[in-house]
Amino acid sequence: MSSTGTHLGNTPLNLAKLRELSRRELPEILDKARKRNNTDVRGKKGLVLDPTLTGPLSLIAEFTLLKDHGVEKIYHLESDTLETECPGLIYICRPKLKYMRYIANHIKHFSKTTKIDCWLFFVPERTMICERVLEEEGVKGDITIGDYAMDWIPCEDDLISMELDPSTWKEIYLDGDQTSIYYAAKSLMRLQSIYGLFPRIIGKGDAAKQLADMLLRMRREQSVTDQVTSTTSANTPSLLNSISNHIDQFIIIDRNVDLVTPLCTELTYEGLIDETIGIKHCFVELDAALVNPAQPAANNTKGVTPIPATPAPTNTTSPTKKKKYVLNSSDKLFSQLRDQNFTVVGGMLNKIAKRINENYEERHHAKTVAQIRDFVGRLGELQQEHQSLKIHTGIAEEIIGHTVTDEFNKVLEVQQNVVAGIDGSKEPEYIEEMINKQKPLVQVLRLLCLMSLAQGGLKPKLFDHFEREIVQAYGYEHIETLHRLEKLGLWQKRTNTAASRSTFAQCRRLLRLIVDDVDEFHPNDISYVYSGYAPLSIRLVQCAMQKLGQGSIQSTGGSAASLFSYVGGGGGGGGSTASFNNKEEKKNETGWRGSEDILKLLPGQAFDIKQTVEYGAETNAAMARAKRHGLQHGKTTIIFFLGGCTHTEVSAVRFLAQHDEGRDYLVATTQIINGNSFLAPIIQTRQE
Amino acid sequence: IVLSEGFSELDIAERIKKLKIAGKTYSEHREQAFEAKAVDEAIKLLQFQLTLEKDTQQSFTGLSTSETIYKCTTLGQHHKATKVKTDFKIPDKRFWWVKLRALVEVRDWETLEKL
Repeated sequence: MSSTGTHLGNTPLNLAKLRELSRRELPEILDKARKRNNTDVRGKKGLVLDPTLTGPLSLIAEFTLLKDHGVEKIYHLESDTLETECPGLIYICRPKLKYMRYIANHIKHFSKTTKIDCWLFFVPERTMICERVLEEEGVKGDITIGDYAMDWIPCEDDLISMELDPSTWKEIYLDGDQTSIYYAAKSLMRLQSIYGLFPRIIGKGDAAKQLADMLLRMRREQSVTDQVTSTTSANTPSLLNSISNHIDQFIIIDRNVDLVTPLCTELTYEGLIDETIGIKHCFVELDAALVNPAQPAANNTKGVTPIPATPAPTNTTSPTKKKKYVLNSSDKLFSQLRDQNFTVVGGMLNKIAKRINENYEERHHAKTVAQIRDFVGRLGELQQEHQSLKIHTGIAEEIIGHTVTDEFNKVLEVQQNVVAGIDGSKEPEYIEEMINKQKPLVQVLRLLCLMSLAQGGLKPKLFDHFEREIVQAYGYEHIETLHRLEKLGLWQKRTNTAASRSTFAQCRRLLRLIVDDVDEFHPNDISYVYSGYAPLSIRLVQCAMQKLGQGSIQSTGGSAASLFSYVGGGGGGGGSTASFNNKEEKKNETGWRGSEDILKLLPGQAFDIKQTVEYGAETNAAMARAKRHGLQHGKTTIIFFLGGCTHTEVSAVRFLAQHDEGRDYLVATTQIINGNSFLAPIIQTRQE
Repeated sequence: IVLSEGFSELDIAERIKKLKIAGKTYSEHREQAFEAKAVDEAIKLLQFQLTLEKDTQQSFTGLSTSETIYKCTTLGQHHKATKVKTDFKIPDKRFWWVKLRALVEVRDWETLEKL
């Protein structure tokens, strides 16, 4: 196995399987290209990649694998003409019109000079429009088109991502473009075909509903085709006909349901790295000096994987040297730190440093040969830990550089006040100051949208004032930006004073989103990830989960009850206590039932679908086997974020998983986002 | 409403024309008073920037009001900057922030001293 995948595959739901699937397909398409031109030029190929795909691709395959299959050079797909000496070119890109034009230009350019064979693979699928463009450009005949269904990128054992562009949510709700829902459905079908049908699909949000409907429809279609081609399907058994015995339920959270969370500054270690430095497809770019202290030879063994795409000639000119560093649980230190609130990280690093030092010191006590050998055996591991400690200290220092600034703390204060429902005059004042200082627009909008969401719109006077300020300070093209935000419900004028109790305020009360006594060191609730604010999305997950846990699985009763008491306690003040008590009696009720009052407040439909089929012979056999061995392994719950989730939400889910022994959680998402990448696609760019 | 795409028009004269159309459409709807006003201002700013470009041989179009003040100040065109302020009713606070930053940028300590 490769260096980027070794940390996978330690859960009941074997994700390495998923990775292998995407991995296997890649050589297949590369070889397909080879078969066609079995002349003297075989094997020598150039790979032209969509720049947004290089990152995800590097997570499933490394350069050597590509090389083994005859890839000589890797290029980025760009507008300017491509000069290559490779007689064969393979394009891999997302179906975007822009790329089609680039490719058409390339091919026209090639046809003037030498003959180059071209293949084009769309990820995940070709679209009619793209083929049409190629046709109109008159190059469709010169190119062989195929699909490469690279859908799930397993990042961790408990996290898989489709790694789409960060604009999914905007596409669905602003542009009405449902392509990504379709992709999600396709990908989920694939997931089901590997692991079996999800017995139960719970979700919230209109797009989530569409996704669920699409899933059900695809399954029906599948069963029809299966009937027609029953002979072939018998040979390749798909698990689509049987209920999964690993997965107990599938929860779809539509990003539209919880817009507040991504707008807040993430406060976990991983989240803050993403906010300050930026994590792209599990890689973070660090100063070369930080990763690479004077011993370059040792690098490759220390988890620093040179990304396969960097041989591209375009990015050698960057003035400050950046090095990519992989961030996943193969780095033991990082897996300890990633989900912690940042306030704790400093202390932990210190402790670890001390421990490593002590371990080093042990060599003085080693007396016998056996002891020495033992020590030397551990030396490599120690050094590796040492190295990663160095890196993380470096990262932490850089982040502290941000977090100690006045600006960071003020922004945070504003956020926390706004989310907690403290409606002061200080916050708008500070936002105004940010505009005056011409701080990045994303930052300003993040705060303003957060304010609008949490307070159910801004007071008309403030609203008008900020619209004016933004347009004047950042340019009139942002009339359009504000328009979009308004359409998306992120930016609203408060209509009348009576409606000042916003939905968010009610949710805050009902779901106990604000927890005052957080202990970042010994977290006892998911609110630790935002130092006091519990992400709404994850509270919803808890809502969907808790009663189920109490009812069906006895072993988790204890922990589920403690989760329950959280939510229940939140409603304590109002008259909702009674309704919560009622629910406790109806222990066997599952899914959304009991949380209707909350769900009604939030936008979009809620649904709860059971997928039942006759158990196939295979599943029956498997279940019988499991019973015979007395194997009662925990079930996995998949939580799918349609429209992206933040690192912090992942951390919160991990926290839930830790406190729920009988169950594993898998987070699936269309992409990982943060507040900036969430808003960025909405902001109108200046075209000069 | 998507007429604001006029902003992407490269040619300035063409852009003003398109914006005028957009502005007219906006002014026909009462609830879009803000947009209508903003588009009017945008046109005004563009026209002002055109004269600025003639005077200074520097590119101005496409900048926001704050950025225009910033650039005027860095170029030493202080009364022009003040004109932008009065024409577009820029709040004092923002104006001075922008001006301050601009003066620091060009290290014009003398003018800074005078303030």
